[in-house]
Amino acid sequence: MTKNIRLGACAALLAMSAGCKDFLDVNDNPNAPQVVSANLYLAPMLHWMVTSPQYDGRFVGRYTQEWMLAFGTTTLTTWDRMGYDPSSDNGAQQWRDVYWTLGQNLVDMMNKAEAEQRWDLLGVGYVLKAWGWQVTTDLHGEIIVKEAIDQSKFTFNYDTQEYAYQEIQRLLDKAIELLQKSDGAVDAAYLGRTDKIYNGDRTKWLKLAYGMKAMNLNHYSNKASYKPAEVIANVDKSLASNADDPLLTYPNTQNDDINFWGRTRGNIQTSSTGYRQTQFVVNLMNGTHTGGVVDPRMSRMLAPSPDGQYRGLDINVAGMGAFSAAQQPMNFHGYVGTGGLQQKGRYIFDDKAKLPVITYAQLQFIKAEAAYRMGDKATAYAAYKNGISAHIDWVNARNNDNGQTPTQITSAEKAAYMAAPSIVPASPSGLTLTHIMTQKYIAQWGWGHNELWMDMRRYHYTDVDPATGEQVYPGFAPPTNLYPDNGGKVVQRIRPRYNSEYVWNRAGLEVIGGLALDYHTKPMWIIEP
Amino acid sequence: MVIKGTTVGTLTRVDGTYSLRASVGQVLQFRFIGTAPEERTVGAADVINVTLRRVATQLDAMVVTALGQTAQLRTLGTAQQTVDGAAISETQRQNFVNALQGRVAGVEVTSSSGVPGASSSITIRGVSSISSSNQPLMIVDGLPLDNKTLNTGVLASDAPGSLTAFSNRGVDFTNRAADLNPDDIESLTVLKGPEASALYGIDAANGAIVITTKRGRAGTGGFEYSTSLKMESTREQPELQRVYGPTTISGSALGSFQYFGAPYAPGTTFYNNIDGFFRTALTQRHNLSFSGAAQDNRINYRVAMSADKQEGVVPNADYSRVNLTGASQSQVNSWLRADLSMQYALANNNQAYKGDNGPLIGLLLWPQTDNAKDWLTPAGNRRRITNLAASGEVDNPYFNVEKNRINSKNSRLIANLGLIATPVSWANVKSNIGMDTYTNENLILRHPESAYGNTYNGVLDEANDVVRNLTAQTLVNFEPYNITSELSINGLIGNQVSDFKSTTAALKGQDFLDPNFVSINNTNLRTNRTTIAQRRLVSVFGSATLNWRDYLYLTGTLRNDWTSTIPTERNSFMYPSVSGSFVFSDAFPAIKNFMTGRLRAGYAEVGKDARPYAYRPSLEYKTTSYGGYGYGFTGPNLGLKPEFARSYEFGTELGFLKDRLGLDVTWYRKQTKDQIVNDIRGSYATGFILFNLNGAVTRNEGWEVTLRGTPIENRLLAWDVQANFDRSRGKVLALPNALPESYVSDTWLFGNVRNGTKPGLSTRSLTGLFYLRNNKGDLLIDPTSGLPLRSTTFIDGGYDRQPDFTVGITNTLRHRNWSLNFLVDLRKGGDVLNATEQYLTARGLSTRTLDRDKPRVIKGVLRDGKENSATPTQNNIVVIPAMQTLYYTNISEELFIEKDINWLRLRDVTLRYQLPRRFLKTRDASVFVTGTDLLLITNYSGLDPIVNGNTAAVGGSGAAGIDYGNFPMPRGYTFGLKVAF
Repeated sequence: MTKNIRLGACAALLAMSAGCKDFLDVNDNPNAPQVVSANLYLAPMLHWMVTSPQYDGRFVGRYTQEWMLAFGTTTLTTWDRMGYDPSSDNGAQQWRDVYWTLGQNLVDMMNKAEAEQRWDLLGVGYVLKAWGWQVTTDLHGEIIVKEAIDQSKFTFNYDTQEYAYQEIQRLLDKAIELLQKSDGAVDAAYLGRTDKIYNGDRTKWLKLAYGMKAMNLNHYSNKASYKPAEVIANVDKSLASNADDPLLTYPNTQNDDINFWGRTRGNIQTSSTGYRQTQFVVNLMNGTHTGGVVDPRMSRMLAPSPDGQYRGLDINVAGMGAFSAAQQPMNFHGYVGTGGLQQKGRYIFDDKAKLPVITYAQLQFIKAEAAYRMGDKATAYAAYKNGISAHIDWVNARNNDNGQTPTQITSAEKAAYMAAPSIVPASPSGLTLTHIMTQKYIAQWGWGHNELWMDMRRYHYTDVDPATGEQVYPGFAPPTNLYPDNGGKVVQRIRPRYNSEYVWNRAGLEVIGGLALDYHTKPMWIIEP
Repeated sequence: MVIKGTTVGTLTRVDGTYSLRASVGQVLQFRFIGTAPEERTVGAADVINVTLRRVATQLDAMVVTALGQTAQLRTLGTAQQTVDGAAISETQRQNFVNALQGRVAGVEVTSSSGVPGASSSITIRGVSSISSSNQPLMIVDGLPLDNKTLNTGVLASDAPGSLTAFSNRGVDFTNRAADLNPDDIESLTVLKGPEASALYGIDAANGAIVITTKRGRAGTGGFEYSTSLKMESTREQPELQRVYGPTTISGSALGSFQYFGAPYAPGTTFYNNIDGFFRTALTQRHNLSFSGAAQDNRINYRVAMSADKQEGVVPNADYSRVNLTGASQSQVNSWLRADLSMQYALANNNQAYKGDNGPLIGLLLWPQTDNAKDWLTPAGNRRRITNLAASGEVDNPYFNVEKNRINSKNSRLIANLGLIATPVSWANVKSNIGMDTYTNENLILRHPESAYGNTYNGVLDEANDVVRNLTAQTLVNFEPYNITSELSINGLIGNQVSDFKSTTAALKGQDFLDPNFVSINNTNLRTNRTTIAQRRLVSVFGSATLNWRDYLYLTGTLRNDWTSTIPTERNSFMYPSVSGSFVFSDAFPAIKNFMTGRLRAGYAEVGKDARPYAYRPSLEYKTTSYGGYGYGFTGPNLGLKPEFARSYEFGTELGFLKDRLGLDVTWYRKQTKDQIVNDIRGSYATGFILFNLNGAVTRNEGWEVTLRGTPIENRLLAWDVQANFDRSRGKVLALPNALPESYVSDTWLFGNVRNGTKPGLSTRSLTGLFYLRNNKGDLLIDPTSGLPLRSTTFIDGGYDRQPDFTVGITNTLRHRNWSLNFLVDLRKGGDVLNATEQYLTARGLSTRTLDRDKPRVIKGVLRDGKENSATPTQNNIVVIPAMQTLYYTNISEELFIEKDINWLRLRDVTLRYQLPRRFLKTRDASVFVTGTDLLLITNYSGLDPIVNGNTAAVGGSGAAGIDYGNFPMPRGYTFGLKVAF
C-alpha cells in the first residue's frame, strides 16, 4: 500500500518536474524511420523512373495508335478518341511519381549526398530531377517547377514550358559536372547498393545525362533556336551501344516489382478488357509502306492472330471489329483472350522483361534526325543504320530476358532487312524523314511513349515530309470520331493530375487556362515555332 | 455514510440498519444517490436513526460528477444525465452502448450493423471533428476505458500500396467498450459538454461517459443469478423484380449480373433464395454474482461471472463473452481505505462481410432462377454460374458465410487499485492506479475460391493487437471551508499520468496451398507488418466551488495538459472553465410553494491533441524493385498545435407539483478552432498527398430538453415517463488553407459519394458526382443521349445526414408485482443513402426498373450553350431505359439519397413479474420478457436507416447513413428469470 502511495506521489512529482519532458518524448515513430542513409532513397525512385511512363503509356499509347483498348469493349473509349477521363487520375502516374515518389525524397537524398560529398549520388539526383521535369512537361505542358516541393504552400503557380526546358538543361549540366568528379566520397559500391540500373557506375550515368540532354534539345526542332549540332554532340557523348542502356531488371518477388506489362500484373490484358495492336503499327512493319519488305521484328514484337497472320485493329471501330475469332489479334503476351497467366510472354510483355529509361537506338535516331535537319545526310545515314541494327539486337535481347516465346532474329534476317533499299536506301541521299521517324517509332513502340508522342506532336501527327511529299508517319490519321470536348482538334497534352490539381489547385490551373474543357488540345510551347 | 472529515464509512444493509464505530462529537454524513444528504452529530446514544428523504426535488439528489466524485445536482453548473445500471442491463443488449440511444438527451448511438459484435459509435452533442474521433471518453471507476474499434489500417493487407486493403470497409470489429458486462454497471453518467469534462482533459473534448461498477453491500449478501434466452429474427426483406431476365446468358451461364434482358419465359421456376438464408438466432446469457460485506462493514466484496452466447441471424455470425469481475473495498485503518477491482473479459466474435463482398449483395444479385442453396459442386468446390472470371462473379451468399471469415478474439484484464487517505480532517487524498490491457487476435479470411480472394488465391490476414494502457491519478479533495457563515468553499487539485500503447503484429498470407486449411503456414506468399502507437499524457488540474447560502454556486476549474503528440514547444497547454448554478427557488422561498428551479450557466475551453506521429513524416519501406525507403502519403507539419474548443451552455431545471413534473432545458454552443484535420489532401506539388493540418473551424449548437413526470402514482399504479429531446447542429465554418473540401477517404465506399464537407455545410454532409444544373436549378441534359449530365468534381448537393431532432421516451409502469418498461425512439430528418437500392437499380433488379420499356423525357434543359440564358432549350429527347441502360447504370447516387428520413422505433420493452416473497425461498425472484427493436416505422425505403458503411473506427462523421449491403438490426424476444438467494 505504501508503495502505491509512493507511486502516486512519484507520478504527481513527475508531472511537475523536468522528467516530464523525457516521459513525453515518445513521438519518434517506432514503425518507420524519419531519416535514412542517402542511397536508401534511390531504389524506389529508379523503379518508378522506368515504370511510371508505362502506367501512362496505356493512355498515351492510344493517342499514338500503338494500341487500342479493343478486347472486351463495345464502344470506343475516351482515350482512343484522343479524349481523357474526367475526374480520373488516368494518364497522370508520372505526375504522382515526380511530385511524390521523387518529391521530398529526392530533395532529402540530394541534400544528404551533397553534405556527404557523394558527388556520384548527387549527380544521379540531378539526372532524376531533370527526368521528372522532362516527362511531366512533355505530358502536361505547363508544370509547377519553381514552387514545387514546398509543404508550406497550398496553391501553386505553374511555370511555362520554356522555363521547365531551361531548368532541365541546367540540371543536366549540373549532373554532367558532378558525374565527372571522382573526389569527395564518390563510391561505386555505396551507389551500387541501390542503383540496380548501372550498379553504381557513374560513367554510365554521365552518358545517360548526355542522352537526356540530347533528347531535350532535339525537341526544339520546330523552333528557330534549334541547334542540331549540339544535339549530335550530346548524343556522341552519350550511350555508345546497347550495353550502355539504362535497363531495370524486375525482381518478381511481389506485385509491385513485376514488369508492368507482364501478364501477372494484368495491366495490358485484364480479366475483362485488353489492349490490341492497331492497323497503323502493323502497317509500319508488314511492308505496306516499304514495298513489301516485312520487318523481322514484327513477329517478335507484335502479337499474331490464331491463324498466324499479323493484323491490327481499326481505331475507328469499337472492339475487335469484323474479325473472326481466328483473325482477332491475340493479346500482347501471345495468347487468345485473357490467356497467358503464368506463361512466357512476348517481347517486353513478360513479367521479367527488362525495361529502359532511354535506349542507344533511340538516341541514334535522334542523331539521325538532327543531322538530317542540318543537311548532314552522311551522319544521319550512319546513325539511322546504327539505330535499326541496335534495335534489332535489342529486340533479341528483350526476348531473351525470360526466354520468351518469339524466336531470335537471325543475322541473315537482319542483314536481308537492312539490305532492302526501302528500309535502308542505297546512299545517304535517299534517306528521308519518314525513314527516320518510322524506324524511331518502331524502336520506341510499346515502351517509349513519352518521346514517341513528343515526336508525333512535333510533326503534328500528319505532317508531310516536304522533300518527298509523303507523311512523316505514313498511314497515320487521327480518329474520325474525336472526343466531344476536343472541338474537332487533336490531342496535344494530358491534363494535370485530377486529384492533385483539378481538386486542390484550381486557382493555379485557372491562370494557365487549364480549366477549359478542351485544355488537352492546346498545343504546347515546345512544338510551336 | 462516512464520518465527516475521514474516509471511515460504511454502507447500510438492505434493511437499512448500519453499524459504525465513531467518537462522540464526530459528524456522520448520510448520502444515498437520489436522496438528500443528512448529517448527525454523534452523541451519547448508540443508535442514530436517520430518515433520508427521497428527495423532494431532483435538485437535491446526489449525482456522480467528473473524476468519480459525487455532488448534489444543485451545485453543478453544467448538463449531465445519469442512467441507472439496471435500466441498461434490462435491455438485454450485449453491447451496453446500444442501450443508451434515447435514454440521454444529446447522445446518439450508431451501430454499424445488426451482426453480433458489430461496432457501435457514440457521439454526444453531434459531430464536431471533421476527421478525428467524435466519441466521448469512457471512464470506469475513475480511470479511462479503451473503446477502440480495430482500424484495418494496421493490417498487413492495408499496408501502403497494397491491393488487398480493406480501408475499414466490408469488415467490422467490436468497439471494445462492449467487453464490459452490462450487469456490472451500477450507474452511468453522461457528462455532455466540455464544461463538465474539462476536468478529464483532452480526451474528454467530446464529452465523457462515467461508469461506476457495482460493489458489495452489507446486508445484501448472497447469490444472485439471472438467465435469459433471446430469439432474434430479421424484420424485413428486400424485394426484387421477377419480370426481366439476365442481359447476357450463354447456355446456362450468365454473362453478367445485369438484368436488362428479355422477360422470363412464362412458367420459369423461381427460387426464393432470400428466404431461408436468415435464421432464427438464439442467445443465452447467464449472470451469477456473489456479494456482501463483513459484519462490521470494514470489508465488502462482490464477485460476478457472466456468460453470454449470441447467434446472429446471419449464419455463422456469433458473439460470445465471458466476464469475471471481482471488487472489494476495505477500511485498512482509521485514515486509509482501499478499493480494488478487477475485470476479466474474454470475447469471441465471428462476423459476416458487408458491402461489396458481403453475403447480402450476393443474396440480392443471385439469379432468382437458380437455387442459391446449392452452392457446392459435387467435388466440394464453389459452384459457378457465370462465365465471368472467378473474381468477377459475386459469391453465392451461402458460400460466402461458410467460407469467408472474420474472427476476432479478445482477452482483457482491467485492474484498478484505489486508495483514499485522510491524513488531515480538512482534506483527503484519493489515488488510483489502473491498467487496462488486452490482447486482440483477429483473423480475416478471403477464401481462395471466393470472388474476394480468388485473384490472390486466397488472402489470410492476422493481426494481434496488444494494448497496454496505464493511468495513475491522484486527487486531493478539500472539505468545505466556511469563509463566512454564508459563504463556503471546497475544491480539489489533482494530477494524472497516462501511458497508452498499442502494438499490432500483423501478417498476411496469400496463395493458399490447401484451399480449406486456414493458417498462415498454408500460404505461399507472406508479408508482415508491425504498428506501434504510443501516446503519453501528463496533467495537473484544480477545481474550486464557492457556495453562497446553499443556493448560489460558482465553480472554476483550471487544467494543464502535456501531450507527447504535439511538438515539444507547444505540447503544454492550459485551459479553464467556469460554471455557476443559481437555485432561485431557494433564493426566493415564495416561489418554492409551487415550483423548484435553478439556472445554470457554464463556459469552458478544452484542448485536444493529435494522433501519435502526426507531425513528422516517416519513411516507408517500399515494395517496388529492390526495396528502399520513401515517404508515405502524409507530409510534415512541424507547426502542429493543439486544437481548442470553446463552449457555452445555459440551462434551467424546473420542478412542479412536488417534483412530479420536471423540466430540464439546455442550450449550448461549441466552437472548435485550429481543428486538426487528418489526411486532408493538397496539390501533389507539395511533395506529399495528405496532411494533418490545423485550421478547420466547426460550430455545434443545440438544445437538449428532458421532460420527466409521474402522471400516475397511487397504490395500484405508478407511471413514470421521461422524454429526452435533442437537436444538435454541426457546421463547418472553415477548412485549413481554404482548401475546398475535406473528406475521410474510407467513407468513399460506394460509387461517387463520400462524407465530404466544405465551409458552410453541415459536419455530416455528403458530396458526390451529382447532377449538373443550370442557374435556375434545372437538370442539364446531354444533347446526344437525352440523359442528365453529372459533375466531374465532388460537389455539394444539399445533403445532410444530421437529424432535425430526436426524441427518446422511456416509460415505467408498475402495478402490484408487475412492471413494464419501454423506450420509444423517434427521429425526424436526416438523409440516408440507400446505396443497396442504387446497386440493384443499376443492375436492373430493383422493382423501380419495371417500367423500363416506357418512353420518357427527363425534365431538364439541354446543355447546348443556351442553358444559362433566359430561354434554355427544354429537353425533348425521348429515352427508353430498356434500350439505353445507361439510364440506370450511370444514374447518380444523388437519386438514392433519401431526404428527411424519420423513424419511430420501439427499442426496448420489458415486462417483469416479481414473484411473491419467499417464493421458492428466494430473497428476490422475478421473471421477465424483453422485446428488442420490435417495431420500426420509417419513411426509409431500405431495410434500416441506422447503418454505418464503415466501422466505428472511422473518424469524422464516418459513413453513418450510407447503407450498402448492410444487415439491419434484428428483432428479438428475450425470456428470462432472475433469482436471489
